[in-house]
Parts: sequence; structure tokens; C-alpha cells
Amino acid sequence: MIRLIMNGLEVQAEEGWTLLETAQFYGLEIPTLCHNEGLTPWGGCRLCVVEIGAKPKTRLVSSCTYPAEEGLVVQTDTKRVIRARRMMIELMLSTAPMSKKIQDLASKFGVTEQRYPPRNEECVYCGLCVRMCDEQMDARAIGFQNRGHKRKISTPFDIRSEDCRLCGACIYICPACSARCQGPSAETDICNACLQIEPTCLEEYGELNCWMYDAGRCGTCVQDKSK
Amino acid sequence: MKALPVLKTTRDLKNRISGLKKRRTEDKRPVLTVSAGTCGRARGSLKVISALEKSLKASKLEKNVRVRVTGCHGFCEAEPNIIIQPQDLFYQKVDPKRADDIVGRTVKKKQVLEDLLYKDPATGGTARREHEIPFYKKQNRFVLGDNALIDPTRIDDYFSIGGYGALLKVLTKMSPEEVIGEVKTSGLRGRGGAGFPTGRKWEVARAQKAAPKYIICNADEGDPGAYMDRSLLEGNPHRVLEGMMIGAFAIGAREGIIYVRDEYPLAVENVTAAIEALRGAGLLGENILGTGFDFDFRIAKGAGAFVCGEETAMIASIEGKVGEPRQRPPYPAIKGLLGKPTVINNVETWGTVPLVITKGGAAFASIGTAGSKGTKIFSLVGKINNTGLVEVPMGITLREIIYDIGGGIPGDKRFKAVQTGGPAGGCLPASKIDLPIDYESLAAAGSIMGSGGMIVMDESTCMVDVAKYFLNFLRDESCGKCLSCREGTQRLWEIVERISKGQGKDDDLVLLEELAESVKDASMCGLGQNAANPVLSTLKYFKAEYRQHIRRKKCPALVCKEIVSSPCHYVCPIGQEASTYIALVSQGRYEEAYRVILKDNPLPSICARVCHHPCELACRAGESGEPISIRAIKRFVLDWAEANGVRYVPEPLRQNKEKVAIIGGGPAGLTAGYFLARKGYRPTIYEALPVSGGMTAVGIPDHRLPKEIVAREVDFIKASGVTIRTGQVLGRDITIDGLFRDGYKAVFCATGAGKSLAMGIPGEEAEGVLHSLEYLREINLGRTVPVGKRVCVVGGGNSAIDAARAAHRQPGCEKVSILYRRTKAEMPALAEEVDAAIEEGIDLQFLVAPVRVITAYGKATAIECVRMRLGDKDSSGRRRPVPVEGSNFTMPLDTLILAISERPDTSYIGEGDEIRRVEENIHIDEETAMTTRAGVFAGGDAVTGPNMVVEAMAAGKVAAEMIEKYIRGLPMQRDYWLTRPSTYVPSVSVSEAEAARAERPKIPTLSPAQRRKNFREVERTLSEASACREARRCLRCDLETEDGKAALGGNP
Repeated sequence: MIRLIMNGLEVQAEEGWTLLETAQFYGLEIPTLCHNEGLTPWGGCRLCVVEIGAKPKTRLVSSCTYPAEEGLVVQTDTKRVIRARRMMIELMLSTAPMSKKIQDLASKFGVTEQRYPPRNEECVYCGLCVRMCDEQMDARAIGFQNRGHKRKISTPFDIRSEDCRLCGACIYICPACSARCQGPSAETDICNACLQIEPTCLEEYGELNCWMYDAGRCGTCVQDKSK
Repeated sequence: MKALPVLKTTRDLKNRISGLKKRRTEDKRPVLTVSAGTCGRARGSLKVISALEKSLKASKLEKNVRVRVTGCHGFCEAEPNIIIQPQDLFYQKVDPKRADDIVGRTVKKKQVLEDLLYKDPATGGTARREHEIPFYKKQNRFVLGDNALIDPTRIDDYFSIGGYGALLKVLTKMSPEEVIGEVKTSGLRGRGGAGFPTGRKWEVARAQKAAPKYIICNADEGDPGAYMDRSLLEGNPHRVLEGMMIGAFAIGAREGIIYVRDEYPLAVENVTAAIEALRGAGLLGENILGTGFDFDFRIAKGAGAFVCGEETAMIASIEGKVGEPRQRPPYPAIKGLLGKPTVINNVETWGTVPLVITKGGAAFASIGTAGSKGTKIFSLVGKINNTGLVEVPMGITLREIIYDIGGGIPGDKRFKAVQTGGPAGGCLPASKIDLPIDYESLAAAGSIMGSGGMIVMDESTCMVDVAKYFLNFLRDESCGKCLSCREGTQRLWEIVERISKGQGKDDDLVLLEELAESVKDASMCGLGQNAANPVLSTLKYFKAEYRQHIRRKKCPALVCKEIVSSPCHYVCPIGQEASTYIALVSQGRYEEAYRVILKDNPLPSICARVCHHPCELACRAGESGEPISIRAIKRFVLDWAEANGVRYVPEPLRQNKEKVAIIGGGPAGLTAGYFLARKGYRPTIYEALPVSGGMTAVGIPDHRLPKEIVAREVDFIKASGVTIRTGQVLGRDITIDGLFRDGYKAVFCATGAGKSLAMGIPGEEAEGVLHSLEYLREINLGRTVPVGKRVCVVGGGNSAIDAARAAHRQPGCEKVSILYRRTKAEMPALAEEVDAAIEEGIDLQFLVAPVRVITAYGKATAIECVRMRLGDKDSSGRRRPVPVEGSNFTMPLDTLILAISERPDTSYIGEGDEIRRVEENIHIDEETAMTTRAGVFAGGDAVTGPNMVVEAMAAGKVAAEMIEKYIRGLPMQRDYWLTRPSTYVPSVSVSEAEAARAERPKIPTLSPAQRRKNFREVERTLSEASACREARRCLRCDLETEDGKAALGGNP
């Protein structure tokens, strides 16, 4: 057992636990976005940051990746932590303003203004879909391309991946589009996020503008049967 | 040469080292050492080498003289350079054509080629030896020094300077714990940037039970402008390899990996060759030299990702994964490459290790400061005279590096900031120049040591632009995993970009600071945590510059293109669209040009003659050649209009708005009156003298600015609806309270600076001592002032030159001397005026200061002067003149004219006026131009002290804007716009031949003979042909902006 101090309480963590797991075990709430219990911790969204160390030399770390260490002093909701989280939410909101999940986070943390010009990228590069595809679906059909501001998620060489089984797990887990399902068969299909993707699948489609590079197969788009 | 046998035992190694050492000392052949690192090769050192070899062969010396090709010696500025032994001569900037000279004269005849020696630009002295050069004097080339001694491709060269002696010592005499202990004693800290104690890192790795363990050399140097690791790896690869082998022995690793970027081909080549040579010598593999130590090297090439310099990202890259950092802990020393204990150190750290072992940890620790030991290599680049790699002891100050080693800033410009630590480092301002360089003090000042990049910036650098540049680098190079770093750097860049375009918003700085703090706080790895440094440090030290960009849309360094557009237009205090009228002139559209000039300038003919033309000083054509002769082009347009009867008659306007009083009919008052009249107000100018025009009428003699021109301009102002009442003195004929009572809604005080200052020397109140202003006023008002035969003028400003030239024109005057206490270079007068004075035969005496006036019967007869010399620089950056003891001399004279300085005479302001003054100058709010009394505005020389015509006009223009706002009850804030022309004129096509031929025209003048004893205007107007030719030389900076490109359909 590892003994550490969390928000002033002495808590115990099992060997191999992260700070997030420890906090969750004790019922301390830490917001997450790129974290999912079935996937390896990623530490990309920086929402779960907590302040560690003794003053004045404290620092912020992502609790989902930081291992519980003996004697560590952890604060999960200091001013500094909240300030960083709010800024992260504001940044996410400006890239994917339509996401319900992000909007909920914003309202929870009182992020009422968005001071950056919105970009509507509908992706916050949290990597959930990439890890889902790899770790749970064992497909590795999609991955990150480029780095920095040019980063995007796509299939290798931007062509249809033979490894993709069109399982839809990537769409299922996506926080930026999962709540926006407005399609005609929202109940049966996973999320119909494709309806929101430009060019929308409701219009004339072809191999080239199908998001999954295989027009019609996923069944989420409305096919023009007359042709 | 025959390959030496493979080493089998430690004794073999010992014998090899001592044998080659002995051979080196016994070899008395002359040696020509040529530096040929990447930088040297770029400057042609390979050509020098082949030329030298050819010439040695031709003189049959190839067996008797050695040419040693080495890595970089650090002094990039002097590349390619040659060190010649045994004389120990240092030849710099060697041209391959000089090879025969070097061989024939220096090698054979032992002569010194003086022209190839280093000349110190500061003292003019030459240095024969490397260590005599100031660049090398203060350095301690502990690690880099051996670069000059060895050929990096020959392992024997390295043996011959005792190389691998440290490894031998470790293998034969030390235990791993002792090695770690020695490194800990030395206090060596990681040279890659973070400064983690090396010994402690090794100790942790040593204590791990897991096996195998790894050693990694971080040679992924990616900072723009930093190349110390490359230089070491190219110039002395064995030193780095030896360090790694010692580290491997200490922690128990079997494999060493050198992670070097593929963009360093020479480094890769030399390291590969060095590893092969090591293997060939039997120093790699299993059971090395029979000691039981197994070790081998492997090279991993990086693909140029900056983030892979971060240790966990580097490990991922070596493992074949995406180069992204991961959470630490676990630290690599515990779980690194393939999950095994791994020690990662930087090239420079590894290169220092052998020296720590041979010289001892204590010796190393004796250099540097309490927390930072030893020496550090910096790449000193940017606006600095001696660009190069410098190795200095820790704790040296920035001043020593920049001025003593770096030789200061080129062109004697002002030092503004230094950027340390690469893109994620920070900018330190000039006030931090005495900061000692070590890990702690740099961090405390808001920057980092980083890997040692040091970019020097001068006053022509815009800090917003600098922040933008580094953010652009970082947003490209962030791996993109953390939202804070990926989105944060992108958004930071967007905000700074917006500011640099003049589109910043008032709360941008708050957002910038808030976001930067969050990026720093919330990011996972060192890159993200330091990514905000360029913003935070520039915001900390240069916030005013950001504010200028946002509030005033000004870029003081003239860098941000979207703000500055064309510098001539941008710097003009009254915003004359110089670029537009030049473009119109180039196409023969003179009338339009005339209208463009008049749009912003109600006194154009005056400006075309006497303006100090800041536009020409800022002209971009002047950066690489001569600036466009903007003033002469303007004069041409105005003279053309006058000659062709083109007159701009202001369109009639109903002046039915409030009355405004303007006190003073100089340039400031006239301009304010004109612009108020154009807005519909009814301005009245009260002028104390019988003529209007202020200094332009009575301060400048006719040979520069004829009275008729001033009168014409005043008539134009009157015609536009301004009432002028001359002979009205404030305090005598009118009062400020009285004006308000008379129904004036606002008062503009532009009373100028007409009070001459006394010098404070004995005898200056004698008869025959005049003040330049009074003298010029008298002659300009048509009165005669007899000056006698000999005249002395004291001072170096425009009014001194004017008075001297005017006196020289008086009948009977034989000799005029100007006495100035500094030199010609420091004279505040316009250079062309000074030259004209010399041309007319006026005697200029520099470094002379008056001591007393010698009088006879109350009349000045001579002046006693003392010679001066220039001492140290004062706060204004000019060298202060210091009197030379006992050098006094006297000059006989009939008249002495003092042109020292003037100040405003504002004695008319009393207690009850509630107008604050600073000494005699009126105090105004910089933004609103209003004095402390509501409704009373001021501007021109009365506020600034003696200043230029165009500055006074600008004050008048601002006052007109603010007076309107005041009367209308609008918010008292000035309007600022981006510099954009009112109309875009397409560019003319200029052939390359024409561009190459074009040069600044000489302004036609009367010959000195024609000028004698008369006041005819000296300067003439340019001919149409030469004005057009000159206008076609313009670079058309205004078309470089996005608006400019869009206005002309994309491609000007």
C-alpha cells in the first residue's frame, strides 16, 4: 500500500494506481475527457491536472498518468488547478464549440466566454478514437498525422484502410461529436455524427467525400437510391 | 600510413597514447591547421585546403609540412581560418588564392602576412595569435579547445593529445562508484538545458537491478541558431564517445546510442568514422582490453523533430514509435529505453566527462559559481560583431559575453535584448546585462540556460515580432499531444500575430498572459512548460512595446510589416504619404502627387526645403544603398505645380462652428489653424511678431528658405479660412482668460521656444556677443546687423550653421569659424547643411569649447577656448567630451554668436492660469495634447523645447483633432490608423539594368561663387528627368502589405 496525502487527507493507494484512480476510489471528483477506463491513460486533455508537491515548489501534473507515490502531497482543486482547467475548457470550446460534452464541462466550470475565434474543427485530438481502434478493436486503422497545429486524425496515407471494419467505435467514443446525434435513425445507429460532417452525408455522396472512404456501407448516410 | 595494431590490453592502450604523444612533440614539421566544420566549409575552407595542398606539392613541401583539417574553432566570423605552427600565427578569412602566399612567404620565408591577421575594429590593433584576439581572450575553451588540435577523422590524433587516457584511468584504476563520485564532486550538471546533476542521474541508474542498461547521447540539437553540439561532434567525436564509455562503465551499460539528427551530415559521418576507428583499435566489443567491460555503439538518426530532444520522446523515437513525450516518473534512469534503466546526456555533457576524470572533479568544480560548475558553450549569434561559439566559465556576465567576447553590436546600435535558451527560452532586456550566467539566475530572470543558444538583438528588433517568430516555431514543433501545448501555442501565436498586424485588442495582453501561464502550468513535458517563455519574458520586459502595437498601431522598431507598410509614410510625424506621391511622380502624374502632398501638409513648400526628413532615414532603400531623395522629389512636385500654375484651392466650406484661439503663428499654430478651419471651426491666430511663420520665417535665413515661400504658405493658410492677427503678445495684448471670455471655446498655445540660453562663461554679456536666434531674427526682419570681419559661432546645431552661413554672407565679413565641442559625427545639424557650410568656406573647429570671452572696453575682442577629447559614452550614448588640460588658445573675433540652445519662454503663464509647466516647458497630456487646464491645449516647441518643423506641425495636427473632440464632447482619445496610402498606385516595371544603374541624384545647388555675399536660395529643384528616375528607384514597400496586394489584384 502506498500512503499519500490528498486534499489534506491521508489516503492509501494500491501499487500501480494513478492519482486519478486513487482520487476516484476516495470519491474525489476530477474531470476527465481523454480518459477512459478501458484504454491506456493518455494525459492529453490536461483537464485532470492536480497540484503536487509541497509549497512553494508545487507543480501541476495530469492525474490520469501520474503514479501514486509514497508520501506525495496532492491537491485536486486548488485555484491554480481550476484556472488551468478552465483555460483548457475554453481552448476546447473554441475548437469544438458544438460538443455537448465540452459544453457541459464549460457550464460546470463556469466558463462563460470564449475569447478565441471559434474554429469548428470538431476534434480536440484527445486520441480516444485512436486508442479505441488500437486497444479495444485491435484494428489500428486510424492514427495521428503530423504534429503541433497541423495534427490531424486519419487513416494511413489518407486512403481507406483495409483494417477498418467500420465498427464505429471511434465515433462512439468521440467526445467532440458523440452528443450531437440528430440523424434520422439516432436510436439504432451509433451517433450519426457523420451527418454533421461537411460535406454532409445526406447530400450526393461518392467515394471521395465519404468520411469512411466506403460510401454507403456504414448505413448512416442516406443513399440516393434512384441512381 | 600503416594501420597500427589492434590494442589487446590496457598496457597496449597506455603505450599507444604515450607513443603518439611523444611522436607529436617530436614532430617539428610546420603545421597548417585549417578549420573545416560545417560553417567553415560553407565559407570555402575545403577550397583553401585543396589550394594549400596544391601549392605545397608545387613547392615540393608536401612531406615536410602538414595540413591538419580540423573541426570548428568557434570564430565563425573569421572563417575560414588557418593556424600556422610553429609561429602560432592566426590567419583569418583566408581566400584560396592566398595559398601560394601562405606557403611561399609564411611557411618558407617565415614572413607574416599582415593583411590576413585579425584586426580589432575597436582599437585598430592586429593580433598575431589566436589567444590575443579579444574574442578568445575571455574564453575558457575547456571542452572546445582541443577542436583546433586534432583531425576528427584520425583516432591517432586524439590519442596524441592524451585521448582515451580518461577511459584507461577508469578501466584500470577506478571502480564505477569512484567514477560516479568524481562526477558528483565536479558538480557537473546536464548541459542540455534542464541542468540535472549528472552524477546523481548516474547513481540512480547504477542502483537499478534491471539489465541491460543503456547510455544515450542526445545530439538532437534543434534550436534555431544553436550549433555547439554539432561543432563538438564534428570536431572532436572521440571526446564524446570516450565520455559515453566512461558513463557506461559507471552505470553498467553495454550499449550506447547516439541520437543525432540527420540534418548534421558531417557530424554523422565523423561519428560513424570514429566508432569504426574505435572498433578497429579494439576498444569496442566484448571484454575490452581484457578488463571484462563490454560495450558497443549504435547511431540512431533523428528526422528533425524538435520535440525528440526531450528525453522520453527521444526514447520513443529510438524504439520506433511516434516521438512523443510521456509522463515522468518513471524517469528514464529507472525505466527508459525498452523499459530498462537508461542514462541520457547531452553531447556537451558527455564531452566534459573525460576532462572531469583526467583533471579531477575538484579542478572542474573550481570553475564557475556555487550552483553551476565548469564552463558552458554558447552559440553567440544575431546582431553581434563576433558571431561564433564561445566557451565561458559559468557566472560570467552577459556584458562580458556580448561586449568583450562578442565585440558589441554592429553599427554601434543600441543593445536591446538577448534571447537565451533557444525557442523556449526567454528574452532578457538591456537592464539585465550584468546578470551572471548560471542556471539559477537565468531562471529567476524569466529565461532558461537551455542548450546554450544566445541571440543578441539590437534596437531594430521588434519584440512582438520575436515572440511571434518563436511561437511560430513552437506551434510547428509541439508534438500535439497535450491540448495546452498544441492549442495553447497555436492560440498564443494567433494573438501575437494579430497584435503584429495592428489588429490587437485592448484585453489581448490579459488573455495572452493568462493563456501563457496556463500553457506553462498544464503541459506535460519541458517543451510545453517552456513554450510560453517567449511571450512571458517579452511581456515582462517589453509590455510597453506590445501596448504600442495594440493601442497606437505603432511598431517602434519598424519591423511589423502590416503596421509599418512603407516606413517613409509611417515615420512621418504628419503622416505624409511619401510612398504614394513618389509612385505618382514615377508615372508622371504630378498633379495627383501635388494633391496627395497637400492632403496632409498645409506647409509643403517649407517642408520641401527645411524638413529633416525622417522618411529618408527610415527608407528601406537606404538599408542596402542610398535612401530615396524624398525631400527633393517633393520639392520637384511643388515647384512643378508653381511653375505650371497648378494651385490647390480648398473647396469652400461653411465655417459656422465654434471659435478657437491659437497663440503663435509658427508651424504648429498654422497647421492647427488650417485643420480646424477645414473642419468648419473659426480659428484665429495671435502672432507676437509682425510676420507669421514663426521660426520658419525668422529663424531660417533666406539662402535656405526664402521669405516669399513662407509668405505664400501663410497666404494659403489664410485662404483656407484662418484669421491671423500679428503683433499680439500673450500677456500684454491678450490673456487666456480674456480669450475664453471673448467666446473662444478652446485655446491652443504654440508659442515656440524663443529664449536663448546663456553659456555661463565670463564675458558673454559683452557687446559683440549675440545669440543666434536674435541675430537670425533681426536679419530675417530685414534689419542690418554689422558683424565685422571675424565671426565665431559656438554650437553644432542647425541654428549654428544657419547663423554662420548668414554671417558669412554679410558684406565685409572675412572669416567665420564654428566651434563645436564634439566631432562632426556627433553634430545634431543636418549633414547636408554642414557640408554646404564647409563648401562655402566656413571654418569648422571640432573638439573645441569656449572658456571665456576676452573683452576690451566692454566689447568682445577674442575668445579663449580649450581643446577637448572624447571620453566615455554618456547616458545619451554619445561620447562625452573632456577638456584637455593646458590646451587653451585664443581666437580673435569681432562678433561672437552663441547658438547653444533655446528654451520656451512661457513667463506669460501665471499662478491663476492653472497650467502646469516643467521648468519653462508647458506640460501636456501625451494622449490628449491638453494642458492641466481644460480647454487649453499646447504643442510644438513650447512643449518639447527646440524641435523640428515637422514635429511642430504634427503637434498642430493632433491639437486640431483633439480640440474638435473637446468641443464636441467626444471621448478624449486619439484615433490611430494603420499606415495605409489613400490610393494604391500600381508599380512601374524597372529593368534590372536600370535598377543597377540607378543612384540617388545630387541635388543641384548654386556654386559657392554664385552664393557669395547674397541670400539667393542655394538649393535648386531637381530636373523632371532626374526626379522621375529617382522616383522609379523606390522599392514600393506599401505594396507589400496584404491590403496593398489585394488593392492591386494580388500580384503587384
